[in-house]
Amino acid sequence: MAYIRFEHINKYFGENHVLKDINLDIEREQLVTLLGPSGCGKSTLLRCLSGLERITSGRIFMDGTDITDIDPRDRNIGMVFQQYSLFPNMNVAENIAFGLRMKKLGKNDIAKKVSEVIGMVELSGKEKAYPANLSGGQQQRVALARAIVTRPKVLLLDEPLSAIDAKLRRSLQQSIKRIQSELGITSIFVTHDQDEAMVMSDRIHLFHNGEIEQSDSPISIYTNPRTKFAAEFIGHYNIITAAQFHKITGGTDTVSENVAIRPEAMEISLTPHEKKENSYQFQGIIINHLSHGNVLRYNVEVSGISLEVDVLFRSFYLYENGQTIFISVEHRNCLPV
Amino acid sequence: MKKSRASKGTILIISLYLVMPLLLTFLYSIFTEWNEVLPNGLTLKYYKEILLDKYFLTSVLRTMLISAIPFILCTSVVLLALYVIIVYHPGWDKYMQMLCNIPYALQGIILAISVLSLYVGAPYPLSNRFVMVVLTYCIVILPYIYRGLKNSLDTVNAKCLIEAAQMLGANRFYAFFKVIVPNILSGISIVAMLSISIVFGDFAIINIIGGSYYQTAQMYLYKKLFSSGQASSVIIVVMFGLTLILSGIVNILNKKKVRNRED
Repeated sequence: MAYIRFEHINKYFGENHVLKDINLDIEREQLVTLLGPSGCGKSTLLRCLSGLERITSGRIFMDGTDITDIDPRDRNIGMVFQQYSLFPNMNVAENIAFGLRMKKLGKNDIAKKVSEVIGMVELSGKEKAYPANLSGGQQQRVALARAIVTRPKVLLLDEPLSAIDAKLRRSLQQSIKRIQSELGITSIFVTHDQDEAMVMSDRIHLFHNGEIEQSDSPISIYTNPRTKFAAEFIGHYNIITAAQFHKITGGTDTVSENVAIRPEAMEISLTPHEKKENSYQFQGIIINHLSHGNVLRYNVEVSGISLEVDVLFRSFYLYENGQTIFISVEHRNCLPV
Repeated sequence: MKKSRASKGTILIISLYLVMPLLLTFLYSIFTEWNEVLPNGLTLKYYKEILLDKYFLTSVLRTMLISAIPFILCTSVVLLALYVIIVYHPGWDKYMQMLCNIPYALQGIILAISVLSLYVGAPYPLSNRFVMVVLTYCIVILPYIYRGLKNSLDTVNAKCLIEAAQMLGANRFYAFFKVIVPNILSGISIVAMLSISIVFGDFAIINIIGGSYYQTAQMYLYKKLFSSGQASSVIIVVMFGLTLILSGIVNILNKKKVRNRED
Protein backbone atom coordinates (compact mmCIF):
# COMPACT_ATOMS: atom_id res chain seq x y z
CA MET A 1 0.00 0.00 0.00
CA ALA A 2 1.20 3.52 -0.77
CA TYR A 3 2.39 5.68 2.14
CA ILE A 4 -0.49 8.10 1.60
CA ARG A 5 -3.64 6.97 -0.14
CA PHE A 6 -6.65 9.04 -1.08
CA GLU A 7 -9.64 6.83 -1.90
CA HIS A 8 -12.65 8.26 -3.72
CA ILE A 9 -12.35 11.67 -2.09
CA ASN A 10 -15.25 14.02 -2.64
CA LYS A 11 -15.56 17.44 -1.12
CA TYR A 12 -18.44 19.87 -1.45
CA PHE A 13 -18.57 23.48 -0.30
CA GLY A 14 -22.33 23.94 -0.34
CA GLU A 15 -23.36 23.12 -3.91
CA ASN A 16 -19.82 23.49 -5.19
CA HIS A 17 -18.22 20.10 -5.92
CA VAL A 18 -14.58 20.95 -5.25
CA LEU A 19 -12.97 17.50 -5.24
CA LYS A 20 -14.44 14.91 -7.59
CA ASP A 21 -13.73 11.31 -6.71
CA ILE A 22 -9.99 11.77 -6.22
CA ASN A 23 -7.90 8.60 -6.07
CA LEU A 24 -4.25 9.21 -5.44
CA ASP A 25 -1.26 7.31 -4.06
CA ILE A 26 1.87 8.99 -2.75
CA GLU A 27 4.97 6.96 -1.99
CA ARG A 28 7.20 7.33 1.08
CA GLU A 29 9.94 10.00 1.03
CA GLN A 30 8.76 11.46 -2.27
CA LEU A 31 8.26 15.15 -2.89
CA VAL A 32 5.14 15.41 -4.97
CA THR A 33 3.48 18.51 -6.31
CA LEU A 34 -0.19 19.23 -6.66
CA LEU A 35 -0.20 21.65 -9.57
CA GLY A 36 -3.06 23.55 -11.09
CA PRO A 37 -4.73 26.92 -11.52
CA SER A 38 -6.50 28.74 -8.67
CA GLY A 39 -9.71 27.06 -7.56
CA CYS A 40 -8.89 23.64 -9.01
CA GLY A 41 -9.01 21.91 -5.60
CA LYS A 42 -5.32 21.30 -4.95
CA SER A 43 -5.17 23.27 -1.67
CA THR A 44 -8.46 21.74 -0.55
CA LEU A 45 -7.03 18.25 -0.97
CA LEU A 46 -3.99 19.29 1.06
CA ARG A 47 -6.22 20.71 3.80
CA CYS A 48 -8.25 17.49 3.79
CA LEU A 49 -5.05 15.53 4.37
CA SER A 50 -4.06 17.88 7.18
CA GLY A 51 -7.48 17.47 8.79
CA LEU A 52 -8.22 21.20 8.70
CA GLU A 53 -11.00 20.43 6.21
CA ARG A 54 -13.35 17.49 6.46
CA ILE A 55 -14.05 15.45 3.35
CA THR A 56 -17.62 14.82 2.25
CA SER A 57 -16.93 11.20 1.31
CA GLY A 58 -14.00 8.84 0.80
CA ARG A 59 -11.13 7.68 3.00
CA ILE A 60 -7.58 8.91 3.59
CA PHE A 61 -4.85 6.52 4.68
CA MET A 62 -1.40 7.38 5.95
CA ASP A 63 1.22 4.74 6.64
CA GLY A 64 -1.48 2.08 6.54
CA THR A 65 -3.75 3.86 9.07
CA ASP A 66 -7.12 5.35 8.23
CA ILE A 67 -6.76 8.97 9.35
CA THR A 68 -10.02 10.28 7.88
CA ASP A 69 -11.59 11.00 11.26
CA ILE A 70 -8.46 11.79 13.25
CA ASP A 71 -8.03 15.30 14.70
CA PRO A 72 -5.39 17.41 12.87
CA ARG A 73 -3.18 17.66 15.97
CA ASP A 74 -3.01 13.88 16.24
CA ARG A 75 -2.06 13.22 12.60
CA ASN A 76 1.63 14.11 13.03
CA ILE A 77 1.64 16.22 9.89
CA GLY A 78 3.68 19.41 9.52
CA MET A 79 2.33 22.25 7.44
CA VAL A 80 3.80 25.41 5.94
CA PHE A 81 1.20 28.00 5.02
CA GLN A 82 1.19 30.53 2.21
CA GLN A 83 0.89 33.49 4.61
CA TYR A 84 3.57 32.08 6.98
CA SER A 85 1.16 32.13 9.99
CA LEU A 86 3.95 32.78 12.48
CA PHE A 87 2.86 33.77 15.98
CA PRO A 88 3.62 37.52 16.14
CA ASN A 89 4.13 37.63 19.92
CA MET A 90 6.76 34.88 19.85
CA ASN A 91 10.33 35.20 18.62
CA VAL A 92 11.91 32.81 16.13
CA ALA A 93 13.04 30.29 18.75
CA GLU A 94 9.68 30.38 20.55
CA ASN A 95 7.78 29.92 17.29
CA ILE A 96 9.88 26.90 16.41
CA ALA A 97 9.64 25.49 19.93
CA PHE A 98 5.82 25.73 20.01
CA GLY A 99 5.20 22.27 18.53
CA LEU A 100 7.80 20.71 20.81
CA ARG A 101 6.18 22.33 23.86
CA MET A 102 2.85 20.87 22.77
CA LYS A 103 4.55 17.47 22.74
CA LYS A 104 5.69 18.22 26.31
CA LEU A 105 9.40 17.77 25.61
CA GLY A 106 11.94 18.85 28.25
CA LYS A 107 13.59 22.27 28.06
CA ASN A 108 17.00 20.88 27.13
CA ASP A 109 15.55 18.71 24.39
CA ILE A 110 13.62 21.66 23.02
CA ALA A 111 16.67 23.93 23.01
CA LYS A 112 18.76 21.28 21.25
CA LYS A 113 16.18 20.56 18.55
CA VAL A 114 15.44 24.24 17.97
CA SER A 115 19.12 25.06 17.59
CA GLU A 116 19.60 22.14 15.20
CA VAL A 117 16.71 23.12 12.96
CA ILE A 118 17.64 26.82 12.99
CA GLY A 119 21.03 25.81 11.60
CA MET A 120 19.33 23.67 8.98
CA VAL A 121 17.26 26.58 7.64
CA GLU A 122 20.26 28.94 7.89
CA LEU A 123 18.77 31.31 10.43
CA SER A 124 21.49 31.14 13.10
CA GLY A 125 21.70 34.43 14.99
CA LYS A 126 18.02 35.23 14.43
CA GLU A 127 16.70 33.21 17.38
CA LYS A 128 15.54 36.27 19.32
CA ALA A 129 14.09 38.16 16.35
CA TYR A 130 10.34 38.63 16.10
CA PRO A 131 8.48 37.78 12.86
CA ALA A 132 7.73 41.47 12.18
CA ASN A 133 11.48 42.13 11.91
CA LEU A 134 12.17 39.37 9.39
CA SER A 135 11.98 39.43 5.60
CA GLY A 136 9.40 37.30 3.78
CA GLY A 137 12.05 34.70 2.95
CA GLN A 138 13.26 34.51 6.54
CA GLN A 139 9.70 34.21 7.82
CA GLN A 140 9.07 31.32 5.48
CA ARG A 141 12.28 29.63 6.69
CA VAL A 142 11.00 29.96 10.26
CA ALA A 143 7.67 28.48 9.17
CA LEU A 144 9.54 25.58 7.54
CA ALA A 145 11.69 25.06 10.63
CA ARG A 146 8.58 25.11 12.85
CA ALA A 147 6.92 22.50 10.65
CA ILE A 148 9.87 20.06 10.52
CA VAL A 149 11.22 20.38 14.06
CA THR A 150 8.70 17.85 15.36
CA ARG A 151 9.81 15.37 12.67
CA PRO A 152 6.32 14.90 11.18
CA LYS A 153 5.45 11.89 9.06
CA VAL A 154 4.37 14.15 6.22
CA LEU A 155 5.21 17.76 5.36
CA LEU A 156 2.58 19.83 3.56
CA LEU A 157 3.58 23.03 1.79
CA ASP A 158 0.64 25.15 0.67
CA GLU A 159 1.99 27.60 -1.92
CA PRO A 160 4.75 28.57 0.51
CA LEU A 161 6.75 30.62 -1.96
CA SER A 162 4.04 32.52 -3.80
CA ALA A 163 4.55 35.74 -1.82
CA ILE A 164 8.32 35.75 -2.31
CA ASP A 165 10.31 37.44 -5.10
CA ALA A 166 11.67 35.33 -7.95
CA LYS A 167 15.35 35.26 -6.95
CA LEU A 168 14.70 34.38 -3.32
CA ARG A 169 12.10 31.84 -4.41
CA ARG A 170 14.73 29.91 -6.36
CA SER A 171 17.01 29.83 -3.34
CA LEU A 172 14.16 28.66 -1.07
CA GLN A 173 13.15 25.99 -3.58
CA GLN A 174 16.66 24.56 -3.30
CA SER A 175 16.56 24.80 0.52
CA ILE A 176 13.23 22.99 0.74
CA LYS A 177 14.40 20.27 -1.64
CA ARG A 178 17.68 19.84 0.27
CA ILE A 179 15.99 19.66 3.68
CA GLN A 180 13.29 17.30 2.41
CA SER A 181 15.95 15.03 0.98
CA GLU A 182 18.11 15.19 4.15
CA LEU A 183 15.22 14.37 6.46
CA GLY A 184 13.48 11.97 4.07
CA ILE A 185 10.07 13.44 4.92
CA THR A 186 7.28 12.58 2.50
CA SER A 187 6.27 16.02 1.25
CA ILE A 188 3.38 17.44 -0.71
CA PHE A 189 3.89 20.79 -2.35
CA VAL A 190 1.01 22.84 -3.71
CA THR A 191 1.69 25.42 -6.38
CA HIS A 192 0.17 27.04 -9.44
CA ASP A 193 3.62 27.71 -10.88
CA GLN A 194 4.57 25.03 -13.41
CA ASP A 195 8.27 26.00 -13.37
CA GLU A 196 8.35 25.59 -9.60
CA ALA A 197 6.64 22.22 -9.91
CA MET A 198 9.20 21.09 -12.49
CA VAL A 199 12.12 22.11 -10.26
CA MET A 200 10.79 20.71 -6.99
CA SER A 201 8.98 17.50 -7.70
CA ASP A 202 9.65 13.81 -7.96
CA ARG A 203 6.13 13.55 -9.32
CA ILE A 204 3.50 16.05 -10.44
CA HIS A 205 -0.26 15.63 -10.10
CA LEU A 206 -1.94 18.13 -12.37
CA PHE A 207 -5.36 19.28 -11.13
CA HIS A 208 -8.18 20.68 -13.21
CA ASN A 209 -11.72 21.41 -12.01
CA GLY A 210 -11.45 19.17 -8.95
CA GLU A 211 -10.01 16.20 -10.83
CA ILE A 212 -6.54 14.91 -11.48
CA GLU A 213 -5.84 15.60 -15.13
CA GLN A 214 -2.49 13.85 -15.30
CA SER A 215 0.03 12.29 -12.88
CA ASP A 216 3.58 11.83 -14.06
CA SER A 217 7.22 12.69 -13.54
CA PRO A 218 8.07 16.32 -14.37
CA ILE A 219 9.82 15.36 -17.61
CA SER A 220 7.06 13.04 -18.76
CA ILE A 221 4.34 15.52 -18.00
CA TYR A 222 6.24 18.18 -19.92
CA THR A 223 7.12 16.08 -22.92
CA ASN A 224 3.92 14.05 -23.03
CA PRO A 225 0.93 16.08 -21.93
CA ARG A 226 -2.08 13.84 -22.37
CA THR A 227 -4.77 16.48 -22.62
CA LYS A 228 -5.19 19.92 -24.12
CA PHE A 229 -5.38 21.43 -20.62
CA ALA A 230 -2.13 19.72 -19.59
CA ALA A 231 -0.40 20.99 -22.72
CA GLU A 232 -1.67 24.51 -22.14
CA PHE A 233 -0.78 24.54 -18.46
CA ILE A 234 2.61 22.84 -18.61
CA GLY A 235 5.12 24.53 -20.83
CA HIS A 236 4.12 26.82 -23.64
CA TYR A 237 2.64 24.60 -26.31
CA ASN A 238 1.26 25.66 -29.67
CA ILE A 239 -2.12 23.96 -29.67
CA ILE A 240 -3.77 23.67 -33.05
CA THR A 241 -6.78 21.77 -34.30
CA ALA A 242 -6.43 18.67 -36.46
CA ALA A 243 -7.68 20.68 -39.48
CA GLN A 244 -5.07 23.39 -38.90
CA PHE A 245 -2.38 20.73 -38.50
CA HIS A 246 -3.30 19.17 -41.84
CA LYS A 247 -3.30 22.58 -43.46
CA ILE A 248 0.21 23.36 -42.20
CA THR A 249 1.82 19.99 -42.86
CA GLY A 250 -0.15 19.12 -45.96
CA GLY A 251 -0.71 15.66 -44.49
CA THR A 252 -3.91 13.72 -44.07
CA ASP A 253 -2.86 11.42 -41.20
CA THR A 254 -5.55 10.73 -38.65
CA VAL A 255 -4.77 12.72 -35.53
CA SER A 256 -6.76 13.51 -32.41
CA GLU A 257 -8.90 16.61 -32.01
CA ASN A 258 -5.88 18.82 -31.27
CA VAL A 259 -2.15 18.71 -31.79
CA ALA A 260 0.36 20.24 -29.37
CA ILE A 261 3.80 21.34 -30.51
CA ARG A 262 6.39 22.84 -28.15
CA PRO A 263 7.95 26.08 -29.47
CA GLU A 264 11.46 24.73 -28.91
CA ALA A 265 10.69 21.50 -30.80
CA MET A 266 10.58 23.38 -34.10
CA GLU A 267 13.73 24.20 -36.03
CA ILE A 268 13.87 27.36 -38.04
CA SER A 269 16.15 28.23 -41.00
CA LEU A 270 16.40 30.53 -44.03
CA THR A 271 16.76 27.65 -46.47
CA PRO A 272 14.65 24.50 -46.73
CA HIS A 273 15.74 21.70 -44.38
CA GLU A 274 16.99 18.43 -45.73
CA LYS A 275 13.96 16.22 -46.37
CA LYS A 276 13.54 13.64 -43.60
CA GLU A 277 10.94 10.91 -43.38
CA ASN A 278 10.27 11.45 -39.72
CA SER A 279 9.65 15.19 -39.85
CA TYR A 280 7.22 17.74 -41.22
CA GLN A 281 8.51 20.75 -43.07
CA PHE A 282 6.69 23.95 -43.90
CA GLN A 283 7.23 27.56 -44.80
CA GLY A 284 6.24 30.63 -42.79
CA ILE A 285 6.69 34.36 -42.37
CA ILE A 286 8.15 36.01 -39.27
CA ILE A 287 5.54 38.36 -37.81
CA ASN A 288 7.41 39.57 -34.74
CA HIS A 289 9.70 38.39 -31.97
CA LEU A 290 10.11 38.76 -28.23
CA SER A 291 13.23 38.29 -26.14
CA HIS A 292 12.88 35.96 -23.13
CA GLY A 293 16.42 36.29 -21.81
CA ASN A 294 18.41 33.51 -23.45
CA VAL A 295 15.53 32.57 -25.75
CA LEU A 296 14.00 34.47 -28.65
CA ARG A 297 10.36 33.68 -29.27
CA TYR A 298 9.31 34.22 -32.90
CA ASN A 299 5.71 34.60 -33.89
CA VAL A 300 5.44 32.91 -37.28
CA GLU A 301 2.48 32.81 -39.64
CA VAL A 302 2.09 29.52 -41.49
CA SER A 303 -0.81 29.24 -43.95
CA GLY A 304 -2.69 31.87 -41.97
CA ILE A 305 -2.08 30.06 -38.65
CA SER A 306 0.01 31.68 -35.95
CA LEU A 307 2.75 29.58 -34.32
CA GLU A 308 5.38 30.42 -31.73
CA VAL A 309 8.89 29.13 -32.30
CA ASP A 310 11.69 29.37 -29.71
CA VAL A 311 15.30 29.82 -30.76
CA LEU A 312 18.29 30.06 -28.43
CA PHE A 313 19.40 33.68 -28.43
CA ARG A 314 22.54 33.88 -30.53
CA SER A 315 23.33 37.51 -30.99
CA PHE A 316 25.10 36.96 -34.34
CA TYR A 317 21.85 36.43 -36.19
CA LEU A 318 18.27 37.64 -35.89
CA TYR A 319 15.47 36.85 -38.27
CA GLU A 320 13.75 39.97 -39.51
CA ASN A 321 10.03 40.62 -39.28
CA GLY A 322 8.43 39.82 -42.64
CA GLN A 323 11.22 37.41 -43.59
CA THR A 324 10.28 34.04 -45.11
CA ILE A 325 11.66 31.08 -43.14
CA PHE A 326 11.42 27.28 -43.16
CA ILE A 327 10.33 25.23 -40.19
CA SER A 328 10.99 21.60 -39.48
CA VAL A 329 9.42 19.53 -36.72
CA GLU A 330 9.77 15.84 -36.00
CA HIS A 331 6.62 13.71 -36.03
CA ARG A 332 7.17 12.61 -32.42
CA ASN A 333 7.06 16.22 -31.30
CA CYS A 334 3.54 16.71 -32.66
CA LEU A 335 1.55 15.41 -29.72
CA PRO A 336 -2.10 14.43 -30.03
CA VAL A 337 -4.07 15.98 -27.13
CA MET B 1 7.81 74.24 5.41
CA LYS B 2 4.55 76.20 5.02
CA LYS B 3 2.59 72.97 5.15
CA SER B 4 4.37 71.92 8.31
CA ARG B 5 3.64 75.25 10.04
CA ALA B 6 0.00 75.12 8.98
CA SER B 7 -0.42 71.60 10.32
CA LYS B 8 1.33 72.51 13.59
CA GLY B 9 -0.92 75.56 13.91
CA THR B 10 -4.03 73.45 13.33
CA ILE B 11 -2.95 70.90 15.94
CA LEU B 12 -2.24 73.74 18.41
CA ILE B 13 -5.69 75.28 17.91
CA ILE B 14 -7.44 71.92 18.31
CA SER B 15 -5.36 71.12 21.40
CA LEU B 16 -6.24 74.49 22.97
CA TYR B 17 -9.91 73.93 22.18
CA LEU B 18 -9.82 70.53 23.86
CA VAL B 19 -7.72 71.57 26.86
CA MET B 20 -9.50 74.88 27.57
CA PRO B 21 -12.55 73.49 29.47
CA LEU B 22 -10.33 71.37 31.68
CA LEU B 23 -7.90 74.23 32.26
CA LEU B 24 -10.72 76.58 33.27
CA THR B 25 -12.23 73.93 35.52
CA PHE B 26 -8.83 73.48 37.16
CA LEU B 27 -8.40 77.25 37.59
CA TYR B 28 -11.88 77.51 39.07
CA SER B 29 -11.01 74.78 41.56
CA ILE B 30 -7.94 76.54 42.99
CA PHE B 31 -9.53 79.90 43.81
CA THR B 32 -11.80 80.75 46.71
CA GLU B 33 -13.93 83.05 44.57
CA TRP B 34 -14.43 83.80 40.88
CA ASN B 35 -17.33 86.21 40.82
CA GLU B 36 -15.66 88.99 38.81
CA VAL B 37 -13.45 89.07 35.71
CA LEU B 38 -10.42 87.79 37.61
CA PRO B 39 -10.50 85.21 40.40
CA ASN B 40 -9.08 85.82 43.85
CA GLY B 41 -7.90 83.85 46.84
CA LEU B 42 -5.62 81.06 45.64
CA THR B 43 -6.34 77.92 47.69
CA LEU B 44 -6.09 74.12 47.75
CA LYS B 45 -8.66 73.73 50.49
CA TYR B 46 -11.24 72.23 48.13
CA TYR B 47 -8.74 69.56 47.07
CA LYS B 48 -8.01 68.82 50.73
CA GLU B 49 -11.72 68.70 51.51
CA ILE B 50 -12.58 66.35 48.63
CA LEU B 51 -9.54 64.08 48.80
CA LEU B 52 -10.01 63.57 52.52
CA ASP B 53 -13.71 62.86 52.20
CA LYS B 54 -14.15 59.12 52.66
CA TYR B 55 -17.47 59.23 50.76
CA PHE B 56 -15.66 60.57 47.71
CA LEU B 57 -12.90 57.96 47.89
CA THR B 58 -15.50 55.22 48.31
CA SER B 59 -17.46 56.55 45.36
CA VAL B 60 -14.29 56.56 43.21
CA LEU B 61 -13.56 52.97 44.18
CA ARG B 62 -17.17 52.06 43.38
CA THR B 63 -16.85 53.77 40.00
CA MET B 64 -13.69 51.82 39.23
CA LEU B 65 -15.32 48.57 40.30
CA ILE B 66 -18.48 49.21 38.32
CA SER B 67 -16.33 50.07 35.28
CA ALA B 68 -14.01 47.09 35.54
CA ILE B 69 -16.57 44.33 36.18
CA PRO B 70 -18.72 44.95 33.06
CA PHE B 71 -15.58 45.24 30.96
CA ILE B 72 -14.17 41.93 32.21
CA LEU B 73 -17.54 40.20 31.93
CA CYS B 74 -18.39 41.56 28.50
CA THR B 75 -14.89 40.95 27.09
CA SER B 76 -14.91 37.34 28.29
CA VAL B 77 -18.32 36.66 26.78
CA VAL B 78 -17.53 38.37 23.48
CA LEU B 79 -14.18 36.56 23.22
CA LEU B 80 -15.90 33.23 23.75
CA ALA B 81 -18.55 34.12 21.18
CA LEU B 82 -15.89 35.18 18.68
CA TYR B 83 -14.00 31.95 19.34
CA VAL B 84 -17.09 29.94 18.43
CA ILE B 85 -17.70 32.09 15.35
CA ILE B 86 -14.12 31.93 14.06
CA VAL B 87 -13.59 28.25 14.72
CA TYR B 88 -16.99 26.67 14.19
CA HIS B 89 -19.49 29.02 12.56
CA PRO B 90 -17.89 31.81 10.49
CA GLY B 91 -21.29 32.46 8.89
CA TRP B 92 -22.76 33.61 12.20
CA ASP B 93 -20.61 36.70 12.31
CA LYS B 94 -23.18 38.85 10.52
CA TYR B 95 -25.84 38.00 13.14
CA MET B 96 -23.41 38.73 15.95
CA GLN B 97 -22.61 42.06 14.33
CA MET B 98 -26.31 42.91 14.06
CA LEU B 99 -26.99 42.00 17.70
CA CYS B 100 -23.99 43.94 18.94
CA ASN B 101 -25.04 47.07 17.06
CA ILE B 102 -28.49 47.24 18.73
CA PRO B 103 -27.22 48.96 21.92
CA TYR B 104 -25.94 51.88 19.78
CA ALA B 105 -29.60 52.78 19.20
CA LEU B 106 -30.62 52.62 22.88
CA GLN B 107 -30.70 55.82 24.90
CA GLY B 108 -29.19 55.40 28.40
CA ILE B 109 -32.35 56.63 30.16
CA ILE B 110 -34.66 54.37 28.14
CA LEU B 111 -32.36 51.40 28.71
CA ALA B 112 -32.13 52.05 32.45
CA ILE B 113 -35.89 52.47 32.89
CA SER B 114 -36.57 49.36 30.82
CA VAL B 115 -34.12 47.24 32.83
CA LEU B 116 -35.47 48.58 36.09
CA SER B 117 -39.12 47.96 35.25
CA LEU B 118 -38.35 44.50 33.86
CA TYR B 119 -36.11 43.16 36.63
CA VAL B 120 -37.07 45.02 39.79
CA GLY B 121 -39.52 42.27 40.74
CA ALA B 122 -37.36 39.44 39.36
CA PRO B 123 -35.88 36.81 41.67
CA TYR B 124 -32.46 37.37 43.25
CA PRO B 125 -29.78 37.98 41.98
CA LEU B 126 -31.37 39.62 38.93
CA SER B 127 -33.25 42.11 41.10
CA ASN B 128 -30.06 43.13 42.91
CA ARG B 129 -29.25 46.73 41.97
CA PHE B 130 -25.52 46.09 41.62
CA VAL B 131 -26.14 43.13 39.31
CA MET B 132 -28.61 45.21 37.33
CA VAL B 133 -26.13 48.08 36.92
CA VAL B 134 -23.32 45.72 35.90
CA LEU B 135 -25.44 43.93 33.31
CA THR B 136 -26.85 47.19 31.96
CA TYR B 137 -23.32 48.53 31.50
CA CYS B 138 -22.46 45.27 29.72
CA ILE B 139 -25.17 46.13 27.18
CA VAL B 140 -23.92 49.71 26.83
CA ILE B 141 -20.30 48.76 26.18
CA LEU B 142 -21.07 45.65 24.10
CA PRO B 143 -20.80 47.33 20.65
CA TYR B 144 -17.45 48.93 21.49
CA ILE B 145 -16.04 45.71 22.90
CA TYR B 146 -17.28 43.63 19.97
CA ARG B 147 -15.99 46.04 17.32
CA GLY B 148 -12.59 46.47 19.02
CA LEU B 149 -12.03 42.75 19.53
CA LYS B 150 -13.28 41.82 16.06
CA ASN B 151 -10.92 44.31 14.41
CA SER B 152 -8.00 43.06 16.47
CA LEU B 153 -8.77 39.43 15.57
CA ASP B 154 -9.07 40.32 11.89
CA THR B 155 -5.72 42.10 12.04
CA VAL B 156 -3.86 39.08 13.40
CA ASN B 157 -5.70 36.72 11.02
CA ALA B 158 -6.93 34.58 13.89
CA LYS B 159 -8.23 31.67 11.79
CA CYS B 160 -4.85 31.07 10.12
CA LEU B 161 -2.98 31.27 13.41
CA ILE B 162 -5.36 28.80 15.05
CA GLU B 163 -4.88 26.39 12.14
CA ALA B 164 -1.10 26.76 12.41
CA ALA B 165 -1.25 26.04 16.16
CA GLN B 166 -3.52 23.04 15.53
CA MET B 167 -1.03 21.58 13.09
CA LEU B 168 1.61 21.92 15.80
CA GLY B 169 -0.43 19.90 18.26
CA ALA B 170 -2.53 22.51 20.09
CA ASN B 171 -6.27 22.17 20.46
CA ARG B 172 -8.40 25.04 19.15
CA PHE B 173 -9.39 26.39 22.54
CA TYR B 174 -5.78 26.46 23.73
CA ALA B 175 -4.71 28.03 20.43
CA PHE B 176 -7.30 30.77 20.75
CA PHE B 177 -6.61 31.73 24.34
CA LYS B 178 -2.84 31.08 24.45
CA VAL B 179 -1.85 32.21 20.97
CA ILE B 180 -4.51 34.59 19.68
CA VAL B 181 -5.49 36.48 22.84
CA PRO B 182 -1.87 37.44 23.73
CA ASN B 183 -1.59 38.87 20.23
CA ILE B 184 -4.61 41.13 20.65
CA LEU B 185 -3.73 42.49 24.10
CA SER B 186 -3.13 45.98 22.73
CA GLY B 187 -6.60 45.88 21.14
CA ILE B 188 -8.09 44.65 24.42
CA SER B 189 -6.39 47.46 26.36
CA ILE B 190 -7.78 50.08 23.96
CA VAL B 191 -11.24 48.57 24.29
CA ALA B 192 -10.77 48.58 28.08
CA MET B 193 -9.95 52.30 28.11
CA LEU B 194 -12.90 53.09 25.88
CA SER B 195 -15.45 51.10 27.84
CA ILE B 196 -14.13 52.22 31.24
CA SER B 197 -14.28 55.86 30.07
CA ILE B 198 -17.89 55.38 28.94
CA VAL B 199 -18.91 53.96 32.34
CA PHE B 200 -16.84 56.58 34.19
CA GLY B 201 -18.78 59.33 32.48
CA ASP B 202 -22.26 57.83 32.91
CA PHE B 203 -24.78 59.46 35.20
CA ALA B 204 -28.19 58.54 33.76
CA ILE B 205 -28.00 54.76 34.18
CA ILE B 206 -26.37 54.74 37.59
CA ASN B 207 -28.75 57.39 38.89
CA ILE B 208 -31.86 55.54 37.72
CA ILE B 209 -30.83 51.98 38.55
CA GLY B 210 -28.27 52.47 41.32
CA GLY B 211 -29.93 55.47 42.96
CA SER B 212 -29.10 55.55 46.65
CA TYR B 213 -28.16 51.84 46.61
CA TYR B 214 -24.90 52.33 44.76
CA GLN B 215 -23.34 55.80 44.64
CA THR B 216 -20.56 56.41 42.17
CA ALA B 217 -18.29 59.43 41.67
CA GLN B 218 -20.70 60.86 39.11
CA MET B 219 -23.50 60.85 41.67
CA TYR B 220 -21.19 62.33 44.29
CA LEU B 221 -20.37 65.05 41.77
CA TYR B 222 -24.06 65.66 41.11
CA LYS B 223 -24.70 66.21 44.81
CA LYS B 224 -21.69 68.51 45.16
CA LEU B 225 -22.90 70.66 42.25
CA PHE B 226 -25.60 72.09 44.52
CA SER B 227 -23.29 72.82 47.47
CA SER B 228 -20.01 74.09 45.95
CA GLY B 229 -18.92 74.87 42.38
CA GLN B 230 -15.24 74.69 43.33
CA ALA B 231 -15.62 71.30 45.01
CA SER B 232 -17.37 69.86 41.95
CA SER B 233 -14.56 71.26 39.78
CA VAL B 234 -12.08 69.42 41.98
CA ILE B 235 -14.00 66.17 41.44
CA ILE B 236 -13.89 66.65 37.67
CA VAL B 237 -10.14 67.36 37.72
CA VAL B 238 -9.46 64.35 39.96
CA MET B 239 -11.57 62.05 37.80
CA PHE B 240 -9.84 63.34 34.67
CA GLY B 241 -6.45 62.82 36.30
CA LEU B 242 -7.40 59.28 37.23
CA THR B 243 -8.48 58.48 33.67
CA LEU B 244 -5.26 60.03 32.38
CA ILE B 245 -3.15 57.89 34.73
CA LEU B 246 -4.99 54.73 33.67
CA SER B 247 -4.55 55.58 29.97
CA GLY B 248 -0.89 56.38 30.58
CA ILE B 249 -0.26 53.03 32.24
CA VAL B 250 -1.96 51.18 29.38
CA ASN B 251 0.01 53.18 26.80
CA ILE B 252 3.33 52.58 28.54
CA LEU B 253 2.65 48.85 28.77
CA ASN B 254 1.72 48.69 25.09
CA LYS B 255 4.76 50.68 23.99
CA LYS B 256 7.05 48.58 26.15
CA LYS B 257 5.71 45.43 24.52
CA VAL B 258 6.17 46.84 21.01
CA ARG B 259 9.69 48.03 21.86
CA ASN B 260 10.62 44.60 23.20
CA ARG B 261 9.53 43.04 19.90
CA GLU B 262 11.47 45.59 17.86
CA ASP B 263 14.73 45.14 19.82
